[in-house]
Amino acid sequence: MPLLHYLRLIDIMARMGLRADATRFFLGYIWWILEPLLWVGIFYFVFVTIMGTRGPDFLMFLATGKLVFVWFSKSVTQASNSIIGAKGLVGKINVPKTLFPMAVVQEGVYRQAAVFVMLGIILIINGYTATATWWYLVPLMIVNYVVIVACAFVGACLVCLARDFAQIISLGMIFLMFTSGVFFDVRALDPEKTKLVLDLNPIAFLLDAYRQIMMYSTAPDMLHLFTIGVGFGVLLCVMVLFMRRRSQYLALRALTA
Amino acid sequence: MSENKHIVLELTEVSLSYHSARKTFDRGRHHVLKDVSMQLYDGETLGIIGRNGVGKTTLLQLIAGILAPTRGQVKMHSGKCASLLTLGLGFKPDLSGRDNALLSAMLQGSSRQQATSFLNDIKEFSELGDSFTEPVKNYSAGMRSRLAFTTALMTHVDVLLIDEILSVGDAHFRGKALTAMQSRITGEQTVVFVSHMADQVEKMCDRVIWLEDGHIVAEGDPGEVTSAYAESVARAHNDNMAK
Repeated sequence: MPLLHYLRLIDIMARMGLRADATRFFLGYIWWILEPLLWVGIFYFVFVTIMGTRGPDFLMFLATGKLVFVWFSKSVTQASNSIIGAKGLVGKINVPKTLFPMAVVQEGVYRQAAVFVMLGIILIINGYTATATWWYLVPLMIVNYVVIVACAFVGACLVCLARDFAQIISLGMIFLMFTSGVFFDVRALDPEKTKLVLDLNPIAFLLDAYRQIMMYSTAPDMLHLFTIGVGFGVLLCVMVLFMRRRSQYLALRALTA
Repeated sequence: MSENKHIVLELTEVSLSYHSARKTFDRGRHHVLKDVSMQLYDGETLGIIGRNGVGKTTLLQLIAGILAPTRGQVKMHSGKCASLLTLGLGFKPDLSGRDNALLSAMLQGSSRQQATSFLNDIKEFSELGDSFTEPVKNYSAGMRSRLAFTTALMTHVDVLLIDEILSVGDAHFRGKALTAMQSRITGEQTVVFVSHMADQVEKMCDRVIWLEDGHIVAEGDPGEVTSAYAESVARAHNDNMAK
């Protein structure tokens, strides 16, 4: 399949996925904005109204962490089930198997674009200023995207090999949510532990980088970011090669396992 | 008949088996096809006949390159492409018939412009009218299969693989579908046609292969092979009745 056609297909499959999603709900596309707003609302209710100890800073801290984390977790979880979910298609035409997770990831990209715009607006309303440091968001988002695609490919292949991985992946996401500093500040730990968490967990590093940039106007550790980008970039390439060479095997697993 | 024709596709001692999650047969190993060898010639219509579950669809999936054989070789003549024509290319129920048709056409290799240009023909042939822009989930089973057949009809490939396609819709649409199919088959198109219905195969094919339990039982003249097949089906039916 020519690359241009492949990219067009991803785009059109993602748009159609979004459209299908929108027609399912009475509120349609409004959910794109409503869902993240409700998240922030829940945090406000729990941490400001009920617990009362934390100020709006903490609210923004949570919103940034959670909304970025959801991009990763939702994309990877849904992409993991995408090949077996497209069983009907997989049994009928020989298309690159990367197409299915890519379409899901692309759907997430379109959604997340709206979320980022909203997050920016909420931050600015709450008194944060968009400085030149925000340009660091560009490489950060690119690396974040590469991490998502690589994990989506790994997840999609694993679930083809054994359905059980779908369970493990969704549990893994909860584990990751609690260890990536969505609800706590990794920098508030002992310096040694902070370093350990940021070094071992790339998601924790990414979340922290978004907060550093958007809330504290601080540039992230670019070398660290670059290392994550290269590492997951290599994983991504390996997965593409594997999925190309074992396309028929994956189809057989998706159809029979 | 086919000695002087070019071979488009050749299967040499092809077997396909797989492990299933549950350990049922042969320690969980299913043998779908066993040592199947066959050739397909340029421009012919080859019928594959057999009961449900004997491996007909799997054979088509091997020819189309969707699956790879566990053993043996599937060799497609260079530069040719085969495409499987089946009903309902994974329709998304929340999308309109139009969107589904567009997506199907693009997945089978048409560009966006080509796919868009097919849409009017598809709308007309399928006789869906205004329902064409409604979500497929609101379609009746007949409407769904009409859309599926018409979308499939629009693909243009070297080798057309047809899987149990002509049992669609009401009598009127079935007649129309059959005529459309026949006009394609009688041309230069190379076709592999799969069915469990002997009369359809006899009418449409130049040569027939009878598949039973994963291997080829008989091969040759449509009349002879289909009548042998029909006899075997009748015998099995009588045996069942006797029990």
